[in-house]
Amino acid sequence: MSSAVIFPAHPENILKGLGKLWTSLGQEEKQQGKPTVLRACAMTLIVATDEADSGFAASQTISELMHSHPARGIVLAVSPDAEKSLEARVLAQCWKPFGKAQQICCEQIEITARPQSWPNVGPTLVGLTVADLPVIFWCRHKGALRQAATKEEHAGLEAITSLATKIVVDTHDMPASEAVTLIERWQARERVVADLEWTRLTPWREPLAHLFDVCEYKLADFHSIDIEYTDERPTMAALYLAGWLSLYRPKVSFRRVGGYLPGVHRVTFHSDSKTIDFARTGPDSAVLHSASGRECTYNFGEPAVTALMTEELALMGVDPAFNAAFARVRELLLDTP
Amino acid sequence: MSVVVQPLPEVNPLQDPLRFSRRVPPCAIVIFGASGDLSKRKLLPSLYRLFYERRISPSFAVVGSSRTPMSDDEFRRRMVDSVSKFLEDAPFDKEIWDSFAQCLFYVPGDLTNPGSYDDLRNKLDGIEKSHQTAGNVLFYLSTQPSHYAEAILELGAHGLNRGNGWRRVIIEKPFGHDLLSARKLNDEIHKVFLESDVYRIDHYLGKETVQNILAFRFGNGIFEPLWNRRYVDNVQITAAESIGVEGRGGYYQEAGALRDMIQNHLSQVMATVAMEPPTIFDATNVRDERAKLLRAVRVVKPEDVPKHAVAGQYGPAKVGGEDLPGFRQEPSVDPQAQTDTYAAVTFFIDNWRWADVPFYIRTGKRLPKRVTDIAIQFKAPPLGLFTQETKGGLRAARPNLLVLRIQPEEGISLRFLSKSPGSGMRVRPVSMDFNYGSSFGERTPTAYETLLVDAMSGDPTLYTRQDMVEASWQIVQPILDVWTNTKFDFPNYAAGTWGPKASDEMLARQGHVWRIP
Repeated sequence: MSSAVIFPAHPENILKGLGKLWTSLGQEEKQQGKPTVLRACAMTLIVATDEADSGFAASQTISELMHSHPARGIVLAVSPDAEKSLEARVLAQCWKPFGKAQQICCEQIEITARPQSWPNVGPTLVGLTVADLPVIFWCRHKGALRQAATKEEHAGLEAITSLATKIVVDTHDMPASEAVTLIERWQARERVVADLEWTRLTPWREPLAHLFDVCEYKLADFHSIDIEYTDERPTMAALYLAGWLSLYRPKVSFRRVGGYLPGVHRVTFHSDSKTIDFARTGPDSAVLHSASGRECTYNFGEPAVTALMTEELALMGVDPAFNAAFARVRELLLDTP
Repeated sequence: MSVVVQPLPEVNPLQDPLRFSRRVPPCAIVIFGASGDLSKRKLLPSLYRLFYERRISPSFAVVGSSRTPMSDDEFRRRMVDSVSKFLEDAPFDKEIWDSFAQCLFYVPGDLTNPGSYDDLRNKLDGIEKSHQTAGNVLFYLSTQPSHYAEAILELGAHGLNRGNGWRRVIIEKPFGHDLLSARKLNDEIHKVFLESDVYRIDHYLGKETVQNILAFRFGNGIFEPLWNRRYVDNVQITAAESIGVEGRGGYYQEAGALRDMIQNHLSQVMATVAMEPPTIFDATNVRDERAKLLRAVRVVKPEDVPKHAVAGQYGPAKVGGEDLPGFRQEPSVDPQAQTDTYAAVTFFIDNWRWADVPFYIRTGKRLPKRVTDIAIQFKAPPLGLFTQETKGGLRAARPNLLVLRIQPEEGISLRFLSKSPGSGMRVRPVSMDFNYGSSFGERTPTAYETLLVDAMSGDPTLYTRQDMVEASWQIVQPILDVWTNTKFDFPNYAAGTWGPKASDEMLARQGHVWRIP
């Protein structure tokens, strides 16, 4: 169920639209004589997209995310084709858990802005965040994230980040130095920052970490680590993995190889007498060869963006492991000629 | 003067507790009764699921043991069928299974044959080296309860209770069939294992929503001030099943509802609802408080049993166009059986918090629906200022009801009065709902997954301790004794109804009625 276009997109107009939406959902309940709708909200989730991201189905993604993290979703689409400078629409995203009679509904606000109006979205958003709950800003607006962003793009981005409890970004397609500068800038303002490139590493990191629960293995015994990747250059994922593993300052080397999927392909630890190897063996699997010669197969598909966001939305505070790895990535970049 | 500095335990610098599941140390799990139903339906599917989710260490092995002769490969083949069939809300992946299957082994043997334990020891020694299980072994007794003591004594006699790592034992319910047998079993177990290594499983405590009771009570500041005799009128705990004995007539005939549900699961749930806050959240403190609560439950005098407990047995009925048999018509059941398929008990907790507040517990088979919940009925406001749009009666007088739903729609509901729209000051009850499934959309682990991980990690918080088991037997024993010597006029409720009339009368004597869940 969705509303007509709301213009001008003042917060009070949009909130009035939401009020009407819930009233109409309540009418259905009245007709059926029993509760049919449960309103759920645990946060405000702002997703900003631009023209370069036009293939991304923001509404669909939010509706999938709300199964785990019900939220007031605000989709902010910047497009030169927008009919008006800034307009909005409200809708309810509902789903019915299997076998249950009641639908779970979350509200969603879609705001469309022309590029020149992008710096003005901040004041609209201020009035739309849900009181007393965290505000997550998932920035997919590639233009505003570029180092060469215009002054307007930069101002718009700053206005939204100032509202956010946590900022989520995906640096997969960014040059590493640019990604580091961006995250550093947000961290300097004491924002909690998450990078989906780091989140992609959880399936790699967890089995590797478990290996070192066995007392015979000590990370310090492994003097060198080889990381193979499939992209043109080491992406932030490869660098994060190196940063995370190089706690005892082993020699880290990177190598480009062919593989099944973009990103990290293999990680190998070398000590004087032992080798640990963890590599993708297909698009959906990876095999870990431990130093004792045993091998273990893992379910290892490319995580969908909803799975990555689900993991990130479960963590609202500071992520010490990410911060430590990120700090080490900066050093690795400085060390690299 | 010299100071001896104890080395600190090795900390794995790569662990990330924010994102990774709780670490489970390397270990081998020995399942006695590996060809039984519990293994096939619950244990192996749970272990596979934990493996699939990378929640158990790669240095891990399962050794199944039962009388059926078979090889490791045959055991693996049999288990693949069970796991793929009984996985709950989870996909089966052939490649992951192949990797998991490398960790499965089998030792044929009879629990009464000492030679079997030598075979088991040899197998475990080999696995310790090949799978780097660090000598840690968790024994799981999923056999006939009558074999528990013997199996444990044999483990001790063959030195399997000690080794290079830790040794623990999980014991399935029933833990004894009365107070005396439970004490005797405890004594036998303690000849071989320390109490800290004994994990008595009560799968109800592993349910997410039962654990959530602790989070709800002690993680929030607003409920606990109301959680006492000053504000609570009565508490009703219901565990209803719509099915009958489903082919377990032989077993159930000996057990009955009071033994099967109230002595263990529901008394533990009552303890969780009513216990005092622990000073810190750890196994010892949580279990101390549960045990203290159970010890505070008033033991009913034999002459008061008819006033405080009601036994029932379902008779035949037609439900939904289907003819349902009575209990006595079920296969393997004595046509004159005096078994209670329904039990309702009023407990009083003699402590400062709960004195004189009745805790009503009921459980039964062939009730109208499958539901387990806990209802906290709060007292009425001191003055009734408003007219309610209800049918009247006792329940209407006490509008505030907090319901903790354990299954099937896990969640919490709070009922309160609200003004009806329109002119005039008429009020009606409305409900504020928290739905566990919708607020946390991710798949919740099954009770067995939770409990297995806890036992492997050495966390007994959700397991029952010797004193808790004995205290819960203590409160049901007088009822069992009286019922054993009573000739009941069974059946006294029809399948598909909410139990015998006497159960309603038990509450009516206190001015209460059973709510309909």
